[in-house]
Amino acid sequence: MNGAGKKHNGERTRKSGNDTAVAVESVTKRYRIHHEKIPSLKQTILKLKRTTYEEFLALDNVSFSIKHGETCGLIGPNGSGKSTLLKLMAKIIQPTSGKIMVNGSLSALLELGAGFHPDLTGRENIYINAAILGMKKKDVDRKLNDIIGFSELERFIDMPVKNYSSGMYMRLGFSVAINVNPDILLVDEVLAVGDQAFQAKCYKVIYDFMKSGKTIIIVSHDLETISDLCSKVIFLRDGKIIDMGKPLDIVSKYRAYIEELEKKRIIEQQRAERKKIFKTVIEGNRKVIDGEEISRLSNLSIDGETINRFGSGDAEIINIGLLDKSKKAIDYCSYGDEVRLVYKVLFKQDVEGPIFGIRITDYRGNIIYGTNSRLNSIRTGVFKKGDEVTVTFSFKVTLIGGEYSVSPAVGYNDNKTYCDWINNMFSINVIHRNVAEGLADLNPDMSIEKK
Amino acid sequence: MFSGIKTLFSYRELLFSLTKKELKVKYRGSALGFLWSLLNPILTMLVYSFVFSIVLRAGIQEFAIFLICVLLPFNFLSNSVNYGTGSIIGNSNLVNKIYFPREIIPLSIVLANFFNFLLELAALFIVLGILRYPFYIYLYLLPIVIFIQFFLVVGMTLLVSALNVFFRDLQHLITIIMMVWFFGTPVIYPLSMVPERFQFIMKINPMTIYASYYRNIFYFVKYPEGAGFPSVTETLTALGITLLIFFLGYFVFKRLEPRFAEEI
Repeated sequence: MNGAGKKHNGERTRKSGNDTAVAVESVTKRYRIHHEKIPSLKQTILKLKRTTYEEFLALDNVSFSIKHGETCGLIGPNGSGKSTLLKLMAKIIQPTSGKIMVNGSLSALLELGAGFHPDLTGRENIYINAAILGMKKKDVDRKLNDIIGFSELERFIDMPVKNYSSGMYMRLGFSVAINVNPDILLVDEVLAVGDQAFQAKCYKVIYDFMKSGKTIIIVSHDLETISDLCSKVIFLRDGKIIDMGKPLDIVSKYRAYIEELEKKRIIEQQRAERKKIFKTVIEGNRKVIDGEEISRLSNLSIDGETINRFGSGDAEIINIGLLDKSKKAIDYCSYGDEVRLVYKVLFKQDVEGPIFGIRITDYRGNIIYGTNSRLNSIRTGVFKKGDEVTVTFSFKVTLIGGEYSVSPAVGYNDNKTYCDWINNMFSINVIHRNVAEGLADLNPDMSIEKK
Repeated sequence: MFSGIKTLFSYRELLFSLTKKELKVKYRGSALGFLWSLLNPILTMLVYSFVFSIVLRAGIQEFAIFLICVLLPFNFLSNSVNYGTGSIIGNSNLVNKIYFPREIIPLSIVLANFFNFLLELAALFIVLGILRYPFYIYLYLLPIVIFIQFFLVVGMTLLVSALNVFFRDLQHLITIIMMVWFFGTPVIYPLSMVPERFQFIMKINPMTIYASYYRNIFYFVKYPEGAGFPSVTETLTALGITLLIFFLGYFVFKRLEPRFAEEI
């Protein structure tokens, strides 16, 4: 009933004392997923082949309501039904069963610049896009300068939008959208627009919108934003509401869930990788160091393609792994764990006073930490051909959550040339505990005092 | 249906905006602009005139005018249907992201083509004036015929645009259907040339009746030997079939509309 552009209707409802902006009552949404693309006319008419399809339950009996003036965040993993819910509220799709009631004019920012035509100028597209979003032409005329000003595209406004960069395109889309000024705004991950300065402007607009008592419903994976902006958060999973309530509670619940999921994923992934490696492992590599199993036998014959390796080959690094305190091989570690990074070297020639080292880098290639036996003032002595050496680095994990790669090396005592250096031979997964951000752990004592 | 019209009315600005966009996009970047849309019927007219007056010698006086005064209204129908068929799918980015009454999309196509049609008619008036056709005699009938044909065009366009979302091969089929319709309507030949026993079938096609009106209004005012408006029964039948197609198109569209966003 209350499509965009029917403001008076919404206001009447609000005056009558109903403070519910959106009410979702036991809504279920099933999608049909066709096995063949689209049934052809021939098939349908002649029923030559019954088209088969699967049903996908996107939302399962979901109920909640949002009051006027509330800012509500929808969070959940991909495929949990967040976007389906927004589309239902925006009337783009219809529920399979259940009811959705909307009091007030509603505008959905599911995509910025929807309906922009590349051949038309920015100015022409403003009018079309605004009309699509339900704005009257005289309102657009009045707000045109605001819209252009906000987008910071004054110089380009009479240029066809096909010449715009994607950032300019989004900026123009956002500028139109925020000037529609509905009672209820639906936002789907569209706040990450443009550069930092423009984003700050976008957030300010959203804040102003909130302050003026409008209702906002946001879908975002950015939990910081959600806990910042929202007065209420709904956590969806597999089409069901897992929990709803105060942002901090719900967000931390969701974080715990993601962490659990991430752990499982890493274990699965490493299990799969290990399987693959074991299949092609060379006989000699399946040995065990000091009676300890090596968690990941990074076999060089299969990693040869991806691993950058150099050195004379007088000594070869044959495997590497991560062990816990009890010398058990582990797939991942957590912040604060005591771990041992172990690698094994086989000498092919006699080498005098070699240097053993490691380097740990993050996914961007930043060196997080590196050390070697010389820096630790360890005299290594002479190794004979055929000697097998185990190098162990024991440390407490003070890495921020994420994946790090380890490059082990054996160098000659001139500290310049190498017997063997294998880039990114091994990776360490540190489970996210959300203690800090950045590269270094300063481990500060923090205090706040009030006079 | 009534509430549908009311909603549509509240979205009229969007409808006009999209119609304007259709027209702008069509003529943007071409130096001749709107003249291109005149060129198409003129070229068609020249080709058919050559074939029928010089090769086949059909013996129709001023064949070009005979043809063009029905070709223009028929093009209004066929262009709307042809462009309208893929219009919902072609605007999937809108249908998937924003709510508005979906009939606005095919309607904007119809309106853009209607606008073209009117401009072409204006050009036709100039030509008729130069050639001294007394086209003003029955001119009062013209708005009525155009008005009724408009409903036929809207009904057909709504129907095919909605069905095409679910049966994509309609897109290919529709070109053939429109070709059959073109030859099944007395556009390039007079109805009197058709054997008596086929005339009955041809008159079920409302475009046959409208063609007869257009031709009487524009052409037969100068060459009255073939003149003769359709009978009241024939006219009412055409009107009935037109309304049938219009309501069928509207209700099929409204019935399928809620599923558009999921299917594209």
